[in-house]
Amino acid sequence: MSEDVITLENVWKIFGDKAQEAMRAIEERGLSKPEVLAEFGCVVGIADCSFEVKRGEIFCVMGLSGSGKSTMVRHLNRLIEPTAGSISVLGKDILSLKGDALREMRARHIGMVFQHMALLPHRTVRDNVGFPLQVRGEPKSKRWEVSQRCLNMVNLDGYEDRYPRELSGGMQQRVGLARALASDPEVLLMDEPFSALDPLIRRQLQDQFMQLSAELNKTTVFITHDLDEAIRIGNRIAIMKDGRIVQIGTPEEIVTNPADDYVRDFVEGISKLKLVFARSIMEPINDYKAAHGDDLSVCPRADHGTDLDQLIDIATTTEHPIVIQDDNAQDVGVITKSRLLKGIQGGKA
Amino acid sequence: MNDSGLEAGPRSLDASVTEFVQVNEHYYSNQFAKIQGTNGFAFSWNTMAALLGPIWGALRGAWGFFWTFLVLELFALVQIGRGLWGELGADQIARYEKLLVNIAKREQQAKDLVASGDAAGAEAKLKIADNLKRVAAEAQEKADLASSEATSILLTGLVLLLIVKLLEGFLANRTYEKQYLTWRANPTVQSGISRMNAGFGILLLIAIWPLTLFRFTVSDPDAKLSALTGGLIGDRISITEFPINREYFAALAKKGDIGFDWAANNFSHVFEGITKVIRTVLDALEIVLIQTPWPVVMIVIVVMAFRLAGVRVAIFTAASLLYLAFMGLWEMSMITVALIGAGAFLCVLIGIPLGIWFGKSKRAYTIAEPVLDFMQTMPAFVYLIPIIAFFGTGKPPGVLATLIFAMPPVIRLTALGMRGVPETTKEAAVAFGCSKWQLLTNVELPLAMPSIMTGINQTILMSLSMVVIASLIGAEGLGALILEALQYAAKGQGLLGGLAILLCAMVIDRVAQGMYRKKVGAD
Repeated sequence: MSEDVITLENVWKIFGDKAQEAMRAIEERGLSKPEVLAEFGCVVGIADCSFEVKRGEIFCVMGLSGSGKSTMVRHLNRLIEPTAGSISVLGKDILSLKGDALREMRARHIGMVFQHMALLPHRTVRDNVGFPLQVRGEPKSKRWEVSQRCLNMVNLDGYEDRYPRELSGGMQQRVGLARALASDPEVLLMDEPFSALDPLIRRQLQDQFMQLSAELNKTTVFITHDLDEAIRIGNRIAIMKDGRIVQIGTPEEIVTNPADDYVRDFVEGISKLKLVFARSIMEPINDYKAAHGDDLSVCPRADHGTDLDQLIDIATTTEHPIVIQDDNAQDVGVITKSRLLKGIQGGKA
Repeated sequence: MNDSGLEAGPRSLDASVTEFVQVNEHYYSNQFAKIQGTNGFAFSWNTMAALLGPIWGALRGAWGFFWTFLVLELFALVQIGRGLWGELGADQIARYEKLLVNIAKREQQAKDLVASGDAAGAEAKLKIADNLKRVAAEAQEKADLASSEATSILLTGLVLLLIVKLLEGFLANRTYEKQYLTWRANPTVQSGISRMNAGFGILLLIAIWPLTLFRFTVSDPDAKLSALTGGLIGDRISITEFPINREYFAALAKKGDIGFDWAANNFSHVFEGITKVIRTVLDALEIVLIQTPWPVVMIVIVVMAFRLAGVRVAIFTAASLLYLAFMGLWEMSMITVALIGAGAFLCVLIGIPLGIWFGKSKRAYTIAEPVLDFMQTMPAFVYLIPIIAFFGTGKPPGVLATLIFAMPPVIRLTALGMRGVPETTKEAAVAFGCSKWQLLTNVELPLAMPSIMTGINQTILMSLSMVVIASLIGAEGLGALILEALQYAAKGQGLLGGLAILLCAMVIDRVAQGMYRKKVGAD
C-alpha cells in the first residue's frame, strides 16, 4: 500500500520563448513570478512542485483557475514538458521516455478524463471507449468486449451504439470515464472531470467514481477547483496557488490546520463536522483531572476517532463531559461542551 | 435632479475633455456636452473650422475631415476659377480658327482652279469650303454658349464653397467629439493641437491645390506652364501625363521572354512528365466515360444519383442526361466531364495533403497564403501564356490551367478544417497514446471532413467555370463549342452549349451535396 506510484521532484514549468533563460535566472537570482514576466515575457505555470502519490491513493489537487493545476496534471503523462525537475510514474522516469515508449506508457498505464469530455463526435460510444485499445492495435472483438465491460461499470449499457451528441453531459462524462478505464491503467488522471456538470449529477458521479475507485484500486490524481469535492473524494489534498503547492495534507489536516490565510479562506465555508475527530480537540485527561477532580465514572465514553457529528449526538444525551478513549480503550482525554462548540466553530481548540 | 448616477456623467468627463482638447477647453467641453446631451442634431458651430477648413482638421489631427474638405473645397474652387479666368470654349474657338484657315485654303484652291479653267474642280472645292463653314459656325456657337456659362459656373462655385464652409462649421465639433471618444479608448490617437501636423497639412494643400486648379481652369496647361517656368515643367516634365516612355516595361518584358524560353528549353522533361501524368488520368476517365457504351454510363450515373442523393436528384439527372443526348452533345459533355474529373481528382490528390500541411504549420500557411490568393485572383489569361510556352496546347495544359484556378478552395478548406479540430480532442487522443499518424487518421481528418467535403465541392464547381477558358488552349468539349459560338456570334449555339455546361455542373453539384449530406447526417 505504501509504494509511491507517482513522484514529482522540484518540477518547474515556464511558458514562453525564453523559458530556459528565465529558469536559470530563477535559480540564480530567485526572481518572483511578476519579475519573470516583466524581464523575460515568460509565464511561470508551475513553480517548484514536489509530491508523491501512493498506490491506490486518491490525490486531489485543488486550486482556482490559473493556479496551474491542469498544467501540472499534464506533466504526469507528459502532454506538457517541464522546464526543470524530475517526474517518475510507476517507477519509470517519464521524462526519459522516447517516442514509442512514451506512447506505450500513455496507452497502457495512464488513463485520463477531461473536463470537456473530448469524445470523438464521429464515433459511437462503443468505439469511443475502445479507442485507447485501438491505438494499441487490439482487434475489434477485443475492443468491443472491453468497452462493453467498462460501459457496464459506469452503468451505461444500452447506449453502446449511440453517438456522443445524443447523450447528456453526465452520460458523456461517464463515457469519458469508461474510456479512461478501458486500457485498465494503474494510474488515472482526472482533470476537473465533474466541473462542467450540474450539482446533482456531479454528486452522483462522485459517488460512482469513489465506488469504482475502491473496487478497482487505481492510483488517482484528481484535479478540482471545488474544495468540497476534494474533501469528499481525496485521501490527501494538495492546494495550489499561483503555480505553487501551498499545502499538502489529509482533509482533516487541511481543515483543522490551514497553512496560510489563503487556505484558511477556502476552509472557512467548509463543514467540519465529519472531518474533525475527537483526538484533535480533546483536552488531555490528566489536565482535566488536575482541574476538575478524578471522578469521571458517570461520563459517557467515545473512541478518539469519533467525528464531531457523532460527538454532538452523544453530548445531547448527557450533562457530563465526554471521555475519549484510545484504541486500547484507555481514557486519554476529555471533551467538555465548550470545547466541543469551539471545535465546531473552527477546529481552534 | 436625482441621484441615480445617470446624471453623474458629463461632469466627471470634463477633466478628460480638457486633457484631450488642450487648447480652447471651455469652448469644446461646452460643445461636447451639447452634442452628448442630445440624441438628434446638436446645433454646434465651429467658426475656426469653417474658416480654416482642412487646415483645422490637420491641426487637430482629424485627417478624415482634412481629406474630405480638401477635396470638396478644391472642387468648389475649381468651379470658381473656371468662372473667373477659365477660357471656356477655348477648344471650340481653337477649332473654329483652324477651320477658318482651312476654309481660306479651299477658297484659294478654288480660285486657282477657276484661274486654270477647271470649273468642276473649283465647284467641288467650294462645296467643301461651304461644309466647313457650317461646321465652323457650329463651333463658334458652342464657344459663345460655353463662355456665356461662365457666370453661372462662377455662381455655382460660390454657392458650393458656401455650402462646404457651412458643412465644415457644423460637422467639425461632431467629428472632433468622435475623435475624443476614440482617443479615450486608444490614447495614441492625437489629442490637442499639433503644429507639425498643421504644417504637413499646409504642405499637402500647396502640393495639391495650385496644380489641380491650374490643370482644370486653364486650357492647354502644359504649354502655359512651360511658358511660366521656362520650359522645365510642362515641356520636359508634363503634368497632364506621366513623363515616361515604356522603355523599362519593354526591357523587363524582354527579360521575361528570355526567362520563359530558358525554362522551357532546360526543363522540358519536367513539363513532359507533368503532361504525361495528367494525360494518364484523363485517358483513364475518357475510357470510362466515352468508350463505355452510352447506355451503361447513363444508367450508372442515374443510379449513383439515386443512391447518393435521392429520387428528385435522380430524376433531374436523368432529364439532364437526356437533354445532352438529344442535343447530340453526349460525347462533348463526357469529354468535358472527363476534363473536370481529371482536374478535380488531381486537385484533391494534391490539395488535401497540402491543406493538411498548411493546417498544421502556421509558417507554411503564411507563405502559401499569397500564392493561393495569386492562383485565385490572377486572370486565367495571364497564366495561360506560360502554360502554352511550357506545355503546348491541348487537354493536359487545359487541365493544368484548371488546377491552378480550382485548387485553392480545397487547400484552404482542408487547412481550415484541420485548424478547426478542437485542441482538447486532439489532446485527449494524444493522452491515450496516439501516434501522429493515428491522430491524423482517427481524429483530425474525420473531424475536418465536413470542411474538406465543402472544399472538394467548391473545387469541382470552379473547374467547371474554367471549361471555356481551357478550350482557348485547345481543350475540346463543351467549352470549345461555346468558344466557337463566340467567334461566329452564333447565339443559339452558345445558349444551348451554355445550358449543357450548366446542367453538368448542377448534376455534379447536387450529387456531391447529396453524398455530403448523407455522410454528415449519418455521423
